Amino acid sequence: MSSQSTNNRRMFWRIVRRLLTANRGRLFVVLLALGSGATITAALLNLQIDAKRRLTREFRAFGPNLVVAPKSSRATEAAGTIPESTFERFPAQQDAKELRRAGFLYTIAQVTAYPDRTKVEHTAAKPVVIAGFRYDGVDELDKVLPYKTIEGTHSVIPGANTCQIGASVATEFGIHINSQLELDSGIQNVSCSVSEIRSFGGAEDNQIFVAMEHAQRLAGLPHELSLIQARVTGTPEQIEHYVSALQKASPEVEVRPIRQFTEAEGKIYGRISGLLTATVAIVLALTGLCVLAAMTNVAMERRNDVGLMKAIGGSVRRVVRFFLVEAALLGLIAGSLGAAAGIAISTVLGKAVFGVAAQPRLIVYPVAVALTIVVAVLSSFPLRRLAGIRPALVFRGEA
Amino acid sequence: MFLRLVADSFVRRPRRKLLTGAALALGMAVATAALSVSLDVGDRLAKEFRGLGANLLVTPETDSLPLEIGGVDYRPVNSGAYLPEADLAKLKTIFWHNNIVAFAPALGIRAQELDGSCEKMPPGSLPGKVNCIPHRGEVHLVGTWSGHEMKLADGQTFLTGIEKTNPWWNIEGRWFSETVPPNLPDQVVVGQRLAQHLNISLTAPITLFGLHGVDEQYPAMVVGIVSTGGPEDDDIMAPMQLVQKIAGVDGKYKKLYVSALTKPEDEFARRDPRSMDADELERWSCSPYVSSIAYTIKQVLPGADVRVIRRVADGEGAILTRVRLLLWLVTGAALLAAALALGASSAASVIERRTEIGLMKALGAGSATVGFLLTAEQLLLAFVGGGVGYALGIILARLLGERIFGAAPEPSFLVFFVILLLAAVVTMLGSAIPLRRASRFEPAPILRGE
Repeated sequence: MSSQSTNNRRMFWRIVRRLLTANRGRLFVVLLALGSGATITAALLNLQIDAKRRLTREFRAFGPNLVVAPKSSRATEAAGTIPESTFERFPAQQDAKELRRAGFLYTIAQVTAYPDRTKVEHTAAKPVVIAGFRYDGVDELDKVLPYKTIEGTHSVIPGANTCQIGASVATEFGIHINSQLELDSGIQNVSCSVSEIRSFGGAEDNQIFVAMEHAQRLAGLPHELSLIQARVTGTPEQIEHYVSALQKASPEVEVRPIRQFTEAEGKIYGRISGLLTATVAIVLALTGLCVLAAMTNVAMERRNDVGLMKAIGGSVRRVVRFFLVEAALLGLIAGSLGAAAGIAISTVLGKAVFGVAAQPRLIVYPVAVALTIVVAVLSSFPLRRLAGIRPALVFRGEA
Repeated sequence: MFLRLVADSFVRRPRRKLLTGAALALGMAVATAALSVSLDVGDRLAKEFRGLGANLLVTPETDSLPLEIGGVDYRPVNSGAYLPEADLAKLKTIFWHNNIVAFAPALGIRAQELDGSCEKMPPGSLPGKVNCIPHRGEVHLVGTWSGHEMKLADGQTFLTGIEKTNPWWNIEGRWFSETVPPNLPDQVVVGQRLAQHLNISLTAPITLFGLHGVDEQYPAMVVGIVSTGGPEDDDIMAPMQLVQKIAGVDGKYKKLYVSALTKPEDEFARRDPRSMDADELERWSCSPYVSSIAYTIKQVLPGADVRVIRRVADGEGAILTRVRLLLWLVTGAALLAAALALGASSAASVIERRTEIGLMKALGAGSATVGFLLTAEQLLLAFVGGGVGYALGIILARLLGERIFGAAPEPSFLVFFVILLLAAVVTMLGSAIPLRRASRFEPAPILRGE
């Protein structure tokens, strides 16, 4: 009994092997179709996972998406402040590099400009908004608030008293880089030399940026900030979670997402991931289609074989099993090769699109292989017609 | 004879031809859909980015330096320069008028007293509950447009306003209407934080005071509460004319927000237009770069300074460029998959006809004739399949476009030709390799079934 089943099995695989190798041209066509399908599927799947993540990172070009501000409403009190220690109380994000924040302190000071450093000529004093700012790490302000440099560079020389001015300030005073500025708030005065002129296209164009400690001295508010602007990356839900975590950590301040950006980001993210998913589905459908066409031919060609098998007593189930195993094997071989190639390709594509090679995700490999096998087996649907073949008709050449 | 052979091949085995044709049509349908959607996607996404609101800011050129902190200008009232509101109609006459999606002027004034004492309300104007606001304080009042209708030169009406330039603002109730019957109070919209703080609810009556003391009163009614997620949550927004009247600057505004559809900036776009020669300048001003739109706007608004809101424009440009590249790549992949699928199936259809080829050769047909015959058949199939596929693909593209963007892409003739070409090339290439092998067949073994 057991030797018979061993024999049966041996015979089964022998026939499968013959089926696979009998027609090399067709084998090649089916393998090519399945393999390229697997390649493209794996590449797109990998790219899709990576692109979604990377896209949320690309949104940092929009600058901050959340603001930490005093709780008091402007309607009742003069602009309040928040303690500088809030700056340190940001919960860490999964990817520590992804959190960007900058603290600002605004005050108004009378500003006198000395356009030429060597001369004593100076402009009349005018009130200007002074923005003290601090950020964490090595990042410059442009990583938090995008702007365009009109003049100068943003390399800050430590220790040197430099300040950066908005484009409107430069026009108003008619000054360029290396001019000397004298800032007087009535409480304190500070002088600095202009190192960069920036165009933001917003209220920042009317401001003078100085180091935080200068602004705090000018305002007479040591260790206080007006607000913190931060950029948190992630999907809309992740950002929401972060906002509530931050609010919990600092209950005395108000944390609010900048809806202008969070909302648009959420929408755009949804659209693009929808597109990517649709394309992956399309590619899979195409692969299936191709295998379907090939398998239809196989079914037609094999009428004789099937007729013979049936004539010598093979059951329909058994015959169909041959072809399904054949299809699954083809899917496995093509899938294993194609998926590996696809993942390799996707890293290159990721580099082309986002400038950073996409990370290969191991999960993509088994998924792509499994999908290929499923597609191969499902596309063998035309083989079902073999079940209805009547041996006598085939042999007479009538079917 | 040739035509008869081709026709016979279709008529005698309709089922097989139908199958190959169907595969071709389906493949081409998918390719059409992918191509139509990605051709359209740039425009759609650009529109989606307008959800970010204005990307251009217009201010008076000769203005003194605004002392703006948290959206409020701390300069003394009535200082600084203004721009004439009447000039705004010109915005829809510029070369890029179709790219200008929306614009809204703003005039902000500080130090307005707010008072909602009940007895000051015109009697009988509000039946039922009357809201009393026991508060008097400083607010920031912003005059702007909402649902503003502009008659254009071509007879059409252009509807714009603050709700279009700042689409992410949520309004509870509705935006004020700019014109109210003379016996009713003006309508205003209150920021959500201010409303919460002063306990103002919808339809509450409030009184705005003029700059010259308590005798100058402007009764108003709250028709909406706006939540912006920004400093405007502390403001009151009112029709432009009302604020102009209070501030005593008729027909003037201070800031103009413009939302324009743009092309992402590249190296060329960032160059200074003054350093270009005539050809370059023409190319620059004929591309809807945000900077060239700014330049055109400046030409029609004398005395105005037009600035690009870098935060919005740069972010949009960076992301749009990446996403376009990504989508082209993905479309390329889909097209490649379609090509491979069809190539493979047309290869299969040639391979299975070895016996036929053997017979033709045995009857004296040359390799060229056989190749020509089969190619003609494949091409015919490609054109029919491609045509049907295109029609199917347009339907698929509509479904996809509506699903993803809520709008269907326009069918394009370009796609039609690309699809037909693709179908032809792919089927030819697919059959070329097996045909070459077929041309080397010795008829005898094939006919013997070996």
